Parts: sequence; C-alpha cells; structure tokens
Amino acid sequence: MDDKKAAILSEIPRLRRYARSLLRDRDSADDLVQDCLERALVRLDNWQTGESPRRWLFTIMHHLFIDQMRKVNRRGEAAMLPLEAGEAQAAPADQVETIASREIMDALQAISPDRRAALVMVAIEGFSYAEAANILGVPAGTLMSRIARGREELRGLLDDTSRRRTIRIVEK
Amino acid sequence: MTRRDFSERDIHMALDGELPGEERMAYDAWLEANPEMKAKSVRYIADRAAMRAALAGVMDEPVPARLRQVVLGEAPAKASVWRSRWWLSAAAAVMLAVGGLGGYVAGVDSIARGESDDQLAEQAIAAHVTYAAEKRHAVEVPASDKDHLQTWLSNRVGLKLVAPDLAAEGFELVGGRLLPAGGQGKAAMLLYEDAKGERISLYVTAESSETSKGTYAAEAGGPEAVYWLDKGYACAVVGSLPPERLSDVAKSAYGQLLAGISS
Repeated sequence: MDDKKAAILSEIPRLRRYARSLLRDRDSADDLVQDCLERALVRLDNWQTGESPRRWLFTIMHHLFIDQMRKVNRRGEAAMLPLEAGEAQAAPADQVETIASREIMDALQAISPDRRAALVMVAIEGFSYAEAANILGVPAGTLMSRIARGREELRGLLDDTSRRRTIRIVEK
Repeated sequence: MTRRDFSERDIHMALDGELPGEERMAYDAWLEANPEMKAKSVRYIADRAAMRAALAGVMDEPVPARLRQVVLGEAPAKASVWRSRWWLSAAAAVMLAVGGLGGYVAGVDSIARGESDDQLAEQAIAAHVTYAAEKRHAVEVPASDKDHLQTWLSNRVGLKLVAPDLAAEGFELVGGRLLPAGGQGKAAMLLYEDAKGERISLYVTAESSETSKGTYAAEAGGPEAVYWLDKGYACAVVGSLPPERLSDVAKSAYGQLLAGISS
C-alpha cells in the first residue's frame, strides 16, 4: 500500500467523528465519509506533497456536506426553519447515549449547518482559526462570527431543553 | 504589559487557543473582574466538554469495512448504492422536523410555493431508499396477506387502494407499509420485486391539492420517481430502472391504481 493511501486510512476515524457531528445518524455520517473517500481517491493527483492529508480530506468532505445542504435548502427551504432540539432526529437505536450526550448532539443538529461546521472544526477537531477558515473557504472574520453565534445558539437550545426537562419533572 | 479592552470575542479566542500568550494574564484579570463574562466562559467550556464527550466514542469505533475498502481499492460493486444516501437522511430529518412543527407548514407553505410535487417525489424516494434496501423488514404486511393489506392501507390513507398487478412488467408484490406524508397525512407504500431482486415502490397518498406530473431524481444515479398529482390523490413510482422500463411500469401501475380509486 502506498504512503498516500496509508495516510488517508489513518484519517478515517477523525473524518467519521466530524461527519457524525454534522449528521448525527451513524449510517448517514459514514455515507458522507464514503463519498469523501471516493472523491479523494479520484483526485489523488491533486493532493500536493507537503499538504496535510487531514486538511485536504476535511476540505473535500466539507464541500460535499455544504453543497448538499444547499440543495436541500433550495428545494425545501425547510432547513431554514428553526428546528426544535430533540425533534431533529431520533438517536440511532444501536447507540447507547447518556442524556447529556443526546441533548448536546440534538442541539448541535439544530444550529445552522455553517455554524455547526465552524464550531466543530475548531472546538472538536482542533483546527486553528486560520486552518478552519481555509478549509471552509471563508474569511477569518466570518469564521469567528459563525463560531460565536454557534456557541450562543447552542447554549440557548440547551437552556431550553433543560427548562423543558424541569417542567416535565415538576409536572410529574 | 499591554492594556486593552477585552470583549466577548476574546472569550472565544481564549477558548480556541487564539489569544496571544502575552495577553493571557490581562485577559484572566478582566474575566475575574467581570462575573458575567466569566460565567459565559465557564459555560462555553462546559458545553465544549460535553460535545467532546458525546463524540469521543467515535474515535474508538472500528472503521467500517466499506470505508477501508474504498481506500484500498476493493470497493464492492454495491458502492454506488451507498453513494449519496447520507444527505437523503438529512433531508428526511428536515421533513420530519417540519412535520413536528405542525402540518400546516408542510401543507400550506409548500402549496403556496408550488413545490408539493417535489415534496411528494422526495418523500417517495426517501421511503424507497429506506425500506427497499431492507431484506427482512421491508414491509409491514406481506403480499401473502394481500386482502388485509389493501383494506388496512385503504382505511388509513383514505383512498380505495387496489395493489396493481405488475406481473406483465415482471414485478411481484412483496407487501406494503404505512408511512407519514407531511403533517397529518398518511401514505401507503407498496413494494414490488422482479426475478432479479430489483425493487420498485409505489407511494400513494390522499394529500394532494394540485395537479401535476413528471419525473424526479434527487441525485444523478439515484432512484427516480415518476409521479402524478391530482386533487385528492397523488402517486409516485420509484425505482432504479432504465427510464423507459420505469416509465412503462409506472404507467401500468398508475392506470390500475386510478381504476381502483375510482371504482
């Protein structure tokens, strides 16, 4: 196996984590990773020596994700509606999650895809602002505002969820 | 030491490791002097920890074989079936969420936008992608119980449903299931299979208030829907057949459905 393929293979766990944060559902996330890998292999020659495989692969995957989100948006515009946290998508049955994990993943799905990607890229994947801005193809200022708004939005959604939970407990 | 005014923006920068080292002490002092800002910082740190914890397990999961195979060039012939399914589920999640917000959103709005034909086709395709791939759990009621299947679905959907006989086109009924169709509506899905195991599905609902027909594919290479909408009923035939064959099957199915509904 050549070095390039070995390098790509070793990035799969991270790509899966990023995809999972974007899409939540395990199979859908892996489908996105598969699309990304297929595209990467076709374009192996575009990968310049010295360029970090991680950055290259994340860029490919991000483009796939955002392109499709835009198509979904254009067709339905439904994604523009604020989704209620917890209603966005049911947790996969084969995944044991704590309540806290489920709530934060639900909330993450409910914020806009652009903000979600920016926040996860920096807060989970550990990219610098410069790297993340480069991968997402936006100016640093835009990236920063997406991160700040993303965190605000997430906090608000989590607060709503915990308020609702409190109400439910009280009602019992 | 540099003295500058800090703001909320610096909370994010500090959190993300983007605050210059020489400003750190001044920033910490500012945070201590501003309890509100400090609370925000503490909260963001906690949210980040929760996010990391929720996703930490993914790194330890074994890499699915299908992903390794793509890189190693051992991709099975089925690869194209997987391609681009992920976003359909994202789209389905969006539709579910819309349903959760109230039927009128999906119903009234889409009619106002004149997009209900797209929506019908997308719902039919999403259902096909989800269930036709299931070997053992594709249907709720099998074809062996056809009479019950027709009565049950007719009652639920509110249309007199007669499962079309597509034997002439090479397809046998596998069975059917009940599905949500935007808002309060319900849809029936009838699944057929040919001798080679190729599957097509019929998606029928009473939720329709405009007249339209056409073909629709959510993605090049993905399954295609041939659909008809009329006031009071709509039908889509979905499959990954060559266009001409799909069109023939669809016409036959639609003709029989229509005869059944108006009988």
